[in-house]
Amino acid sequence: MSEAVAAEVAVEVAAAAASAAGLKAVGAGLAVGLAGVGSGLGEMGIGAAAMGAVAENKDMFGLALLFTVLPETIVIFGLVVALLLMFQ
Amino acid sequence: MFHPKQMSKLLIVASKQQLDPVITELYRMNIFHIDDFVDKGDEQWEGFKIGMPMTGADTISASLVKIRSIASAFGVGAEQVTDMEKARIAELKRSIEQDLPALAEEVEHLLSQRSKLEASVKEFEQKIEALRPFTDAPFPMELLRGYDAVSIIAGTVKSKPNLNVPHEIWEYTQKSGEFIVVAVKNSDLATVERGLLDLQFQKVSIPEEDGYAPAIIADYQQRIAVIQTEIEELNNRMAAIRDKHKYFLMSSEELLTADIEQAEAPLRFATSDLAFTVVGWVPTQQVTKVYENLDRVCGGKVYVTELEIEDYNEAPPVEYNNPDFSHPTELFMDIYSRPKYTEVDPTLLMSIVYPVMFGLILGDVGYGLILLAMSLGLRSLVKGSEAGTQLINVLRNCSITSIIFGVIFSEFLGFSLPWAPLWFSRHIPIGVSEGVHHASAIPQLLVVSIWIGILHITLGRIWGALNASKMEHGHHRSLKMYANIGWILVMWGIIVLIWSKFPIILMPDLTGMPEIAGGLNVATIAGAIMLVLGLAFIARENVLDLMEVPTIISHVLSYTRLIAVGLSSVAIALVTNFIAIGMIISPQLENLTPVGIVLIIVGVVVFLFGHTLNTALGILGGGLHPLRLHYVEFFTKFYRGGGTKYNPFGMVRRLTEQN
Repeated sequence: MSEAVAAEVAVEVAAAAASAAGLKAVGAGLAVGLAGVGSGLGEMGIGAAAMGAVAENKDMFGLALLFTVLPETIVIFGLVVALLLMFQ
Repeated sequence: MFHPKQMSKLLIVASKQQLDPVITELYRMNIFHIDDFVDKGDEQWEGFKIGMPMTGADTISASLVKIRSIASAFGVGAEQVTDMEKARIAELKRSIEQDLPALAEEVEHLLSQRSKLEASVKEFEQKIEALRPFTDAPFPMELLRGYDAVSIIAGTVKSKPNLNVPHEIWEYTQKSGEFIVVAVKNSDLATVERGLLDLQFQKVSIPEEDGYAPAIIADYQQRIAVIQTEIEELNNRMAAIRDKHKYFLMSSEELLTADIEQAEAPLRFATSDLAFTVVGWVPTQQVTKVYENLDRVCGGKVYVTELEIEDYNEAPPVEYNNPDFSHPTELFMDIYSRPKYTEVDPTLLMSIVYPVMFGLILGDVGYGLILLAMSLGLRSLVKGSEAGTQLINVLRNCSITSIIFGVIFSEFLGFSLPWAPLWFSRHIPIGVSEGVHHASAIPQLLVVSIWIGILHITLGRIWGALNASKMEHGHHRSLKMYANIGWILVMWGIIVLIWSKFPIILMPDLTGMPEIAGGLNVATIAGAIMLVLGLAFIARENVLDLMEVPTIISHVLSYTRLIAVGLSSVAIALVTNFIAIGMIISPQLENLTPVGIVLIIVGVVVFLFGHTLNTALGILGGGLHPLRLHYVEFFTKFYRGGGTKYNPFGMVRRLTEQN
């Protein structure tokens, strides 16, 4: 009787560990994915405007690149959080 | 180093008789950056006007236009003429006078002949196109015209028409629908057209030709073929002329460009009735050369003096002063903005840090070798373009650091090299069997990247203070300097505060410092003092800047991309290897079957595709992220930019002798 209970507990513990690992993976995916959506939304307007500026004046390229990549830090933060979740 | 070449401002004054020798000598030396004279009605320039071009400028420019138009018609560029002896100027001038008019006429004649022939080819082709729908018609084309009481219309319709007036119709089913030719009485024409419109009738005009369509088309095609051979002949003749005169064209283009620039130089000078004067910049090291040479060519009848630079904001032109290996990086500086004369020029530092960051991100011997091969192979493609060569050289430097970091990280296309990583491991457990796997040290690597960020930004702020001390004046100068120090204090204050509360790997652990009061230890209090002092310094310069304080944290953390982006490329490589080899190739190798061989080929394709994609991503990620770290996180701390490019009056002669 007690052996059966022990086995059941072991299965439950394993299941809990597995679902914890799964939730970690889901969290990591959400961190990168949502941050990516955020960066994309941010860069959308800037990128379009920057293209226009560069088309009018080629010298603007450096500045336009700078402005376009500004929001992309957000997705890097997401990526770092995901890495810490997965590998720490 | 860290500063552009030192410039001196020179003033040259002489009588107008010396105009020609002075211009020729300045052009030959190719070191004098002319400050164009602008007639603003200043008192000190009273009586001076902008000069007139020298005599002969109009004939030179007329010849130059001719030569350039011939060269562009032939598609000859200066880069196609290499390894030739330099042309003698006297001979070249003689042939420009004697041969150029005849050559121009001949080329013009050939070109107009060719365009006439090409126009007739086009005309025949249009006629053929118009005849195409009639190729299967069982009647000759002349039957379709010349009637008084009958109208004939042709065109395409969606489906077969059902006309309820007397008519003759020929239908032919094509891909695009039914092609029909209908003959009706003139009085019924309107009814028929209305009926056809419902079937989306698209009218085709009937070509005015005689005979059956296929025969006419064949005739036209033959004529086109004849004209094509004529065009071919003309092209051959033009190619012969081109090869014969290529060198003449390019060298005389160079000569005349030099001549016209010299002839028009007085437009940039200030002249009075009898004298002229010009102001310009020369690298300080070469000032004596200008003195001596001008004195020699004018026989002493010229006055040259060095002017004092009263205000450095009047901007001397900027010429980089870097060791050879930093030259490629100047491209990135120019893309952003050339440094101002007085500020710190970060090119040298960037030329070291940028490839290191690239290597840290890519860090793979295999990809490094691919990039190295690319940078060597593409060299011939960018020949003649300075920016292209610079970019290729940057790629070469970056590929070398990638290989070095690849050796350190023990990575080759995602596989492990025969040694354990010499430093922190980036290996991730994807598709790796037990035993081969080296435990990854990702948190450690992230901390290393944060250290790079802290040091990079601190240096940026120090340079910011330095720039303020050199470029600002008075009260504002000290405010700006203190503000920069304030930013450093705030950043380090926050860091010390964090250290005093949380132990972090690879960073000093200050949690064990002696406690003073209320659980606060020495480090906490020191950090808090630094923070408050820094905030005060920043607020003194501009209170609104306090809004920017949170960017300290985001900018430092932004450097973690060096590891994060690198890891994502490691992961792609590992996944590619796992899918291609672990999942597709190895199971087949155990038991070879004909289907298995096909699958192995599929596996190889997946392998190549994955790694090609990852190489492209590696160049993009490895190239853009360090660039961004420099532009956004580093340059915003100190860099101003907006300097004028040093553009000396003169040219480097490739094809003509120096006179």
